[in-house]
Order: sequence, then C-alpha cells, then structure tokens
Amino acid sequence: MTIRNVVFLAIFFLGVVIAMVPENTTKPYKLTAEAMLIEVQGAAEMVSADDVAHWIISKDPSLQLIDVRSPDEFAKYHLDGAINIPLSVILSDEYRDYLDQGVKMNVLYSNGTLSSHQGWMILRQLGFKNNYVLQGGMNYWFDTIMNPQAPSMLAADEEFAKYDFRKAASGALGGGSTGALTAPVKEKADKPKVIRKKQKKAPAGGC
Amino acid sequence: MGPLVPQEIIGADWNLFIAFAIGIGFGFVLEQAGFSSSRKLAGMFYGYDTVVLKVFFTGAITAMLGLLFFSLFGWIDLNLVYVNPTFLGSAIVGGIIMGAGFIIGGFCPGTSVCAAAIGKIDAMVFIGGIFLGIFFFAEGFPLIKDFYMSGDFGPMKVSELLGISGGLMALLVIIAALVMFKFGELAEKKWPREEY
Repeated sequence: MTIRNVVFLAIFFLGVVIAMVPENTTKPYKLTAEAMLIEVQGAAEMVSADDVAHWIISKDPSLQLIDVRSPDEFAKYHLDGAINIPLSVILSDEYRDYLDQGVKMNVLYSNGTLSSHQGWMILRQLGFKNNYVLQGGMNYWFDTIMNPQAPSMLAADEEFAKYDFRKAASGALGGGSTGALTAPVKEKADKPKVIRKKQKKAPAGGC
Repeated sequence: MGPLVPQEIIGADWNLFIAFAIGIGFGFVLEQAGFSSSRKLAGMFYGYDTVVLKVFFTGAITAMLGLLFFSLFGWIDLNLVYVNPTFLGSAIVGGIIMGAGFIIGGFCPGTSVCAAAIGKIDAMVFIGGIFLGIFFFAEGFPLIKDFYMSGDFGPMKVSELLGISGGLMALLVIIAALVMFKFGELAEKKWPREEY
C-alpha cells in the first residue's frame, strides 16, 4: 500500500470517528467550581447602593441597571434607567447582547439579593464579564437611599457625610427629603448687575 | 479554551501579526506546490492537472477534522468561531465570475501574488486587474446593492440545513473529496499534457 493510500484511509477513518461521536462537547461553563468559589468569596461583584445612587444621579453612561424581578414588579417600580430581564429568561438569546459585553457595567438587582446573585452566578459561569450585583437589593435601597435614617449625634463624621449624600440622593431620585444636617454652604450674594449701554450702530449708508 | 483571539487569550492586537505569519506560510506552500504557474490552475479546468483540487480540498478536510476533534476534546468552542454569512444570489454569480477569471487569467488572487513575487509579468497584470475590479465594484456598489444582499441566509451551515450532525457532514465531505481525487486522477490520465 502506498503512503498516499494510507493517508486516504486515515482521513476516512477519522471522518468515520467524528461522525459517530457526540457533537460539540465544549463545556458551556467557562469557570471551574474552584475559580467560582474564589470569586464568590472575594465578593468583588458587589457594588454599594451609595455608588449606584451616585452613578444614577451623575448619569454615568457606562451604568446599565438590570432588574431581574418579574415584569409585574418591574412595572410597579424600578430604578431609573433599568431594563427588565427576569431571571427565568436570563439565558435567552434576546438578552445576550446586554449581558455578554465589554463596554457597560451591568448592575443586577432584585428585591433582596437572592435572585440577582443567582443570575450573576449563571452569567459569571458562562464567562460573561462586567456584571455586578446591587448590594442589599431594592429593600436595602429603600432603607438607605430613599429613606435614610439620621445617625446618632455621636457617630463619626463620615456617617454624617454619608447621610447627607443619601438625603440629597433621595431628593434627586424622588424619595422623601428634609434638610441636610450639616450647615448649608452660604449662597453667594448676587453680584450687582452691570447694565451695559447698547453700542451705537455704525453709521449706515455711505459708499 | 479556544478560539484564542475572541476569548482574549491572545490579545486582539496580535491578530494582524498572526494573519501576516499565516499569510507568509500560505504563500510559501502555494509556491512550493507550483501554483505560481498559471498552467497549473488552468489545468484544473482542462483536466490535465488536478493538483489544485487536491491541495485545497486536503487543506479544507484537515482544518475541518481539526476543528471537530478540537471541539470534541473541549479545546475550542465552535459557537464562537466566525461563520461567513451566506448571500445565495451573489455567491452564485460571484462564483461564476471568479471561476471565469481563474480560467482566463490562470491565477487565483493568492497565487497571482505568489507569481508576482517571483517576477512573473502576467501575474502583475492580473493583480492590476484585481485592483481595477475592486475599484469598479466599490464605485458601482449602489447599483448592485439590492442584488448583493439578496438570498440572505445568515451564518448558515449546510449540516444545519439538512438537519444532520456536523460530524456526519464531515464524513460526507471526506467521501466526496476522496471520490473527486480519484476522478481527478482519471482525468489526468485521459487528457494528459506533456509540454507544460
């Protein structure tokens, strides 16, 4: 048998093998269980409610809020600029472009953090990047951002600063708001208006 | 783990460099196989030389088997491999025009560059023709745009269209290739040409 025929036979044999085996056994999950455990323990996927409030108010274009609750709940109330991707359809192709991308920062949220974390784990195992979870979920959001509690008078300065920010954020985002605790910056007095005389028109006509 | 560039295992900046290295290798193989002779390519159509068929089909089969086995071993995710979208109408007409160009010119775009590199004047003229064709195609594109986009099947695979597995499709292609090789060699015996 010539070398050529051996090669032909080998190719044919490989073809028969590949026709018999199951197709595309590539694992859909990109992260191993160990890698996932390390990520979960690191808790780097959490973003705080204060950060998110700040991004919403400053209209950060890289922020994409994703509401993983049901459409009913989404219709009742949702955060500014959020899109609704219910957990049950998170794997559908329709939303893949939102979830598997390298430009925006997706922040998943639900009422608590259970659904958003479940969604995040699925997405992370698929190897998608830039997905995060709103720490504490909507419940915590309402307690802290929309209805912040004043800290006790003995609290550290940062607590007051945080409270003031939350108060202001609450005002900007439509929650109930009262005055801040720190003294407001005194407004500058109006400058005296300078009234300029209208310039005389240049003489018309002529040449 | 693969494909390496879309998975960012190799940075996208390396893309062009890798393409350059592969291109050099491709040109080297074409020259080694004697494809810089326009008689070689024309021989395919007259039946006296079917090396072109054998080289390209062997290349296609090797790549096909390689991808399928890599996928089987979990080394590459075929869903991430780019599949050219099919525009049926323009593919058929384009194929006919390109085939006619092969017979008339005796080169395909790749072999013309090889032949020009070793100083063949007809190949240089051929490359000039390619650029003229590109120019007129680009300038005239608005006229043929509707036809160009017709028969859009998207990134279609024949195996999906027939509803068979990729592996079975591969076996069919291999059988077809081996049969074609056999017929090619019969043709070479039937219409031999000594002088080229």
